[in-house]
Amino acid sequence: MRGYAQRYVPGGDNANLERQFERDKDDIRELGVPLETIEPLGEPGDNHNLRYRIPKGAYELPDDVRFDSDEIALLGLAAMAWREGSLNAESRRALVKLRALGISADEPVLGYAPRLRLRDAAFEPLTQAIDRHQIVRFDYLKPGEERARTREVIPLALVQYDGRWHLSAEDLATGEGKTFLLRRIVGKVTVGKAAPERPGDHTARALAELDEVWQRGVADIEVRAGSDAALRLAHRRGTEEVAPGILRVHYVDLAILADELAGFGPEVLVVSPSQLRAAVIERLERTVADHG
Amino acid sequence: MADKRHRVPARAVPPTGSRDKLAFLLALVPWLLEHDRVTVQEAAAHFGVSEDDIRSSVSLVAMSGVPGSTATYQHEDLFDIDWDAFEQDEIAITQHVAIDDAPRLSAREAAALIAGLQYLQSLPENADRVAIRNLVEKLSRGASSTPSQLAVAGDPDSEVLGLVRRAVAEGRRVRFAYLNSRGEREDRDVDPLRVESIDSDWYLRGWCHLRQALRTFRFDRMSDMIVTELPIEHDAAEVRLPDTLFEPSAEDLEVTIEAAPEVIGLLADYIPDGALTSEVGDRIRTTLRVSHYHGLKRLIAGMPGTVRVVAPDQARRAVAEWAAAGLARYA
Repeated sequence: MRGYAQRYVPGGDNANLERQFERDKDDIRELGVPLETIEPLGEPGDNHNLRYRIPKGAYELPDDVRFDSDEIALLGLAAMAWREGSLNAESRRALVKLRALGISADEPVLGYAPRLRLRDAAFEPLTQAIDRHQIVRFDYLKPGEERARTREVIPLALVQYDGRWHLSAEDLATGEGKTFLLRRIVGKVTVGKAAPERPGDHTARALAELDEVWQRGVADIEVRAGSDAALRLAHRRGTEEVAPGILRVHYVDLAILADELAGFGPEVLVVSPSQLRAAVIERLERTVADHG
Repeated sequence: MADKRHRVPARAVPPTGSRDKLAFLLALVPWLLEHDRVTVQEAAAHFGVSEDDIRSSVSLVAMSGVPGSTATYQHEDLFDIDWDAFEQDEIAITQHVAIDDAPRLSAREAAALIAGLQYLQSLPENADRVAIRNLVEKLSRGASSTPSQLAVAGDPDSEVLGLVRRAVAEGRRVRFAYLNSRGEREDRDVDPLRVESIDSDWYLRGWCHLRQALRTFRFDRMSDMIVTELPIEHDAAEVRLPDTLFEPSAEDLEVTIEAAPEVIGLLADYIPDGALTSEVGDRIRTTLRVSHYHGLKRLIAGMPGTVRVVAPDQARRAVAEWAAAGLARYA
């Protein structure tokens, strides 16, 4: 922490310097560098003479955490997937740190360029709130509802399922577990006070819950032979042909599937469920009306 | 849906932010200590940064240290380098303090890598699930606190990936039936060059022998793939793939739309650079570029109530007719 002492004005207004110091400490912690606070002996609570240090053993990679060149190549790809958006800096920094180990990656047989998108503005404030255990508040527009409603939740995990980001959270008022689609969050996410600890593997639970919803959600769709819809719906994970020209597809969210099916126009006819059938008809009517 | 256009950001840039700089220094020092004497060029190549970045970082390291017991900097509390050798672009740390090991990952850094690995778990390279589990476990232990709660369910078509990888390894073409976005189905012979993905959409980029040009193919529009006996004519080392997944062409059509602000992001791939946008009530008016109306009508009908085609009339009618034909099936 060199440099702060020199800029400190005895008896003067050091508010800016102190704020800067707090920010720098956060920065250092979020870089993965643990900071310990040492109170001077005999002066507990006197934070003017607090000292900070990086505890031995907590800073460096454990000795048995080493990677071979195949693993470094895989980690390179994993990092590359985040090259757009807010995790870009983190994944690049992770690679830089691993390079300290001096292993170089094997060139893969087949070149890959994977990419995970973070287009939802809510992603960044939500990940931070999860890391810092803070309550969040946002407006959420449920399909079929006219107006967005304000939700106040303990954010637990962010998972991408079927190409879409979901927030797994606990409703602050009811204590109920809830899953939110990030794209339906309207406006800003407000970060509030400290949230109670909720230990556990929330990502695994959230993925398992989404998988259950997906298992239960089935729709039978009649498709025109040889059409784009026939081919692409058949390629969807879990699709089976239950009768000639009838595909049974799985889905998590009825409104999203209805949008997708509406895009296929006359290539599809929803057989069941009736709710989905009605939703597709409503969407097609809307599009006709908007373009008449 | 019409083909997506996508811009890949420029190559990795040297670290600029203060956090990135610090992380870089914390990684550079242990590597330099491990390597005794290296040249500036070697260090630049290993870390993928410029030689000037290495020079300025080494100079900075040489002036850093940890205050000793008197809270002031004595000579033994500071790093030092062989300055004469450094004149010749050779780096040798002659005195060092504290940071001699690779730093731990932060919770977010570890989480980004773990979620990235999950996303790529269907790649043939990741077939060994136990190895991947071990790797994830090592990353968790290598983090300074529990990795952030972040996960990605990934499930690309591993059969296609396996065939493409085999074809590349053996230097042979793949053949598959492809249904393009105009609804035409053709057999394609392709020299595979690279596999790309955007979230849950996967693409093969390759040299198409039918079109005699570079082409991009969606995994979910390919069927009946085989690895042929025919040798490839182009490989990834020799062909420079354009950064954009789909190249704009002179024949592209421009369409004026009005969209709800919250869906503009979903259309970003189709909005050309420098497109004029204006506010019309609570909607945003802008321009889309599409290769044909077959793609446009699917795109717009798939975003009902949020996007409206305003002009030209032909485009507007194409969308209306497509939706009306869909509706007619329920009559």
